[in-house]
Amino acid sequence: MSTVMKPIYVEDKLREVRESGRLAFRSRTLPTWCPGCGYFSIEEGLTWALNDLGVANKDIVVVSGIGCASRFPFFVNAYGFHTLHGRALPTATGVKLANEALTVVAVGGDGDGFAIGGAHLSHAARRNVDITYLLMDNGIYGLTKGQTSPTSVVGFRTSTSPYENLDRPLNPLLMMLSYGASWVGRSYAGEPNHLRGMIREALAHRGFSYLHILSPCVTFDKTSKTYVNLGMQVEALPETHDPADLAGAMRIAMDTERLALGLFYSELRPTLGDNMDELVARASGPPAARPKKAAGGRR
Amino acid sequence: MKAMSTDIQIAICGSAGDGTIAAGEILRNVMAGLGYKVIAFDVYPPEIRGFGKCIARMRVTTEQAYSLKPQSDVLISLDDSHAIPHVGEVRDYGAVIYERGSIVQLAEGGHISAHVRPAQLPYAVPLRELSEKSTSSNRSRNIVALGFLAGLCGLQEDTFLNALSRKFKKKPEVAESAQSAFRAGYAESADTFKLDDVVFGPVPKAPVAAGSAVEMMNGNAAVVRGCLDAGIENYFGYPITPATSIMERLALEMPKRGARLLQTEDEIAAISATVGAGFAGARAATATSGPGFSLMTEMLGLGVIAEVPCVIFVSQRGGPSTGMPTKTEQSDLHIAVYGGHGDAQRIVIAPTNVEGCYRCAGKAFEMAERYQTPVVVLLDLYLSNRYETVVFPARPPFAPNQSKAPEKDQLGDAYRRYALTGDLISPRTVPGDKDGMYVATGLEHNELGRPNDQPQNHEAQSRKRHEKLKAALAHPDFTHYKRFGDEGAVDVGIIGWGSNFGECLEAMIKARAEGIRCAAMKVVMISPFPVAGVTGFMDQCREVLVPEVNYEGQFANVLQANVGRPVARLNRVPGAPMAVGDILEEVRRLAARARRGHEKAAA
Repeated sequence: MSTVMKPIYVEDKLREVRESGRLAFRSRTLPTWCPGCGYFSIEEGLTWALNDLGVANKDIVVVSGIGCASRFPFFVNAYGFHTLHGRALPTATGVKLANEALTVVAVGGDGDGFAIGGAHLSHAARRNVDITYLLMDNGIYGLTKGQTSPTSVVGFRTSTSPYENLDRPLNPLLMMLSYGASWVGRSYAGEPNHLRGMIREALAHRGFSYLHILSPCVTFDKTSKTYVNLGMQVEALPETHDPADLAGAMRIAMDTERLALGLFYSELRPTLGDNMDELVARASGPPAARPKKAAGGRR
Repeated sequence: MKAMSTDIQIAICGSAGDGTIAAGEILRNVMAGLGYKVIAFDVYPPEIRGFGKCIARMRVTTEQAYSLKPQSDVLISLDDSHAIPHVGEVRDYGAVIYERGSIVQLAEGGHISAHVRPAQLPYAVPLRELSEKSTSSNRSRNIVALGFLAGLCGLQEDTFLNALSRKFKKKPEVAESAQSAFRAGYAESADTFKLDDVVFGPVPKAPVAAGSAVEMMNGNAAVVRGCLDAGIENYFGYPITPATSIMERLALEMPKRGARLLQTEDEIAAISATVGAGFAGARAATATSGPGFSLMTEMLGLGVIAEVPCVIFVSQRGGPSTGMPTKTEQSDLHIAVYGGHGDAQRIVIAPTNVEGCYRCAGKAFEMAERYQTPVVVLLDLYLSNRYETVVFPARPPFAPNQSKAPEKDQLGDAYRRYALTGDLISPRTVPGDKDGMYVATGLEHNELGRPNDQPQNHEAQSRKRHEKLKAALAHPDFTHYKRFGDEGAVDVGIIGWGSNFGECLEAMIKARAEGIRCAAMKVVMISPFPVAGVTGFMDQCREVLVPEVNYEGQFANVLQANVGRPVARLNRVPGAPMAVGDILEEVRRLAARARRGHEKAAA
């Protein structure tokens, strides 16, 4: 049996992209990532998902920290805040609490999120602040030209561990599940169709959604988390897995050899904003009795 | 003592857990309720119980006072070992009230009665016994002592009994027990010799503008009032002495007004969220002390370069590191003005009294919005915890929405968030505004907000960020600096800032009474520095003295960086307010030097 490859014409592809409406979410700044970087498909996925969900550009805020992944906001046609190393989540929390009408997406890499920004993960998750966190895990510090990260595997050689990395890597999914994130999923930059669907689901979730995206660094990692290696490790989540089953999700997350892709866990519970609104209602009495808001800011 | 004016200072001293601070609170509230002006400041240890020393001091006056006095008129001892060192601060013919019950020979110094000078009036009161008799517990010694003092000074018993029932409104049985303790102490005073020299005179009826209200509160409470009156929408904070009570009060008040407060995981998250909310268009603030502010400086720099409005209250305590968490100091001025990396100028304002805390808090939101920058409001433990009677205006004196919005034709693809305009303040959009999309970044950026590290661009944007703040020196309805005392040329000019200015004023008033030509200037806006105003004042002063509660003379350093004239410095780090006498002594020395200068000039 032979497969006949259908030729792809650039013209057709361009028309398809233009007609999709997705370009409305691309900024005029060209991405600065290396050719072949997994982040391109993540950006593609996000613009596709935003377009598919029909969110207005003016109501989107993409918040990032520092790193290759954190350059993301510049390439999306929306409001953006490129903040400090590790501080995307608390800044995004402030943005969301200031204006619940906004769709807030926090983006960042493994170093940004799990090393310097590690203190904020648990609290964003347990509070269930209604934002989406796209964590792009390449297991290396790319923007500083290839150093060990908290998800680098033992034995991995980088410029800061020239003999070998001695520290065992974190298990981000297991952490986020135990921290109480209300939506936890994993996808892979090498499977763009799966990825964009997962980004769409993460955005649609009401509450804190954590999407872990495996994404090779083609420039500084030639041996560990490459397209070839990751391609062999990833597999679909067992069809029998129920996203309401937290213990089951944790069991699957504990397998670091086979990397299951899909929705690990999902739970609907009141968001931080919901709880605060309820508090306001309780503290200020019935709506008629509430004092008029005093002089405010721009809104 | 003049018949009409009252100026009485009372100190209550005890061990943590004795109810020292609580007794002080009841007393100062009653006195303020009677219409007296009150300044009160409590000293307490970092431990909640233990055996640390607590002192509640208050000065009750009919004329406006600016600081506590070096001498007290009455000392109440609830713990002799702690109170003995303070017997000396009681003036002649003043009273020392102490426990009669336990004659304990202390290893050092003996019984408290041995320390009372012949000119002081000792009152040995069976505090414990009266407490046990009236409440079947020894826990009400503080209230018994209060009752005794009230009786001794001829104050109305009912006023206090009502105050106690108000204080324990929700616990009637506690109120009743406290009232019995108070009555027992009050009755005890009837049988003893009278204290003729400490008399609370009549309170003159002060005219108060319609609608405004006289209230007694401390600096942190005034900050909260300012935030609420300015329409604060978001607050993010992490507990730290002495700033915590700002967050505690806001947590109670903000939900009532539909505003949101979050206790974050650390100070970095607190300021990150504050900057995030400011970016999203809210009036947002955080409050902290030195250790927390050290953590915040990186994000402060982002606020500066991304031009995000936000307000940071910093209540200073003794440092560095954990330092002295429950002791006051003015040693975070350098970090407030210069802290963080890069050329990151920001606005720093420092109120000098409780009313100033209210005004600076509200104005800080205006300034942050109008000049698109972080604003640091510098307080310290002395000001945060100092109680004063304050007159609040009927209508909040703070303006809403100071943000410069873009014109329609400025929006769209060509929208330049960081446009170099005439006044260097760029039209600003917030998320949700149509066609105003931009990316705020900590990278140096061009007018469009895109990363750009070209030399001309960095020059232009750096200049913009610095020079736009100059307009804050003329911010409307704000006291940037103010002169007090003699007008025209003077021999000695005192320049003070923050909580310490009250002591400077008292010293200036005393110096003038001694015939020294003297004036004092408070500087509220510290960054950008009001060079013209301060230089104008210094030009009229033969000698300039800058007293500060820090070792380095941090304000003097900032001043001298802006004004090329040396000043005399007076620095003390006692962890407590500076002694007025120390300032006065320095003023006398400088006045003498000035006189020698006059003579030399005449010769």
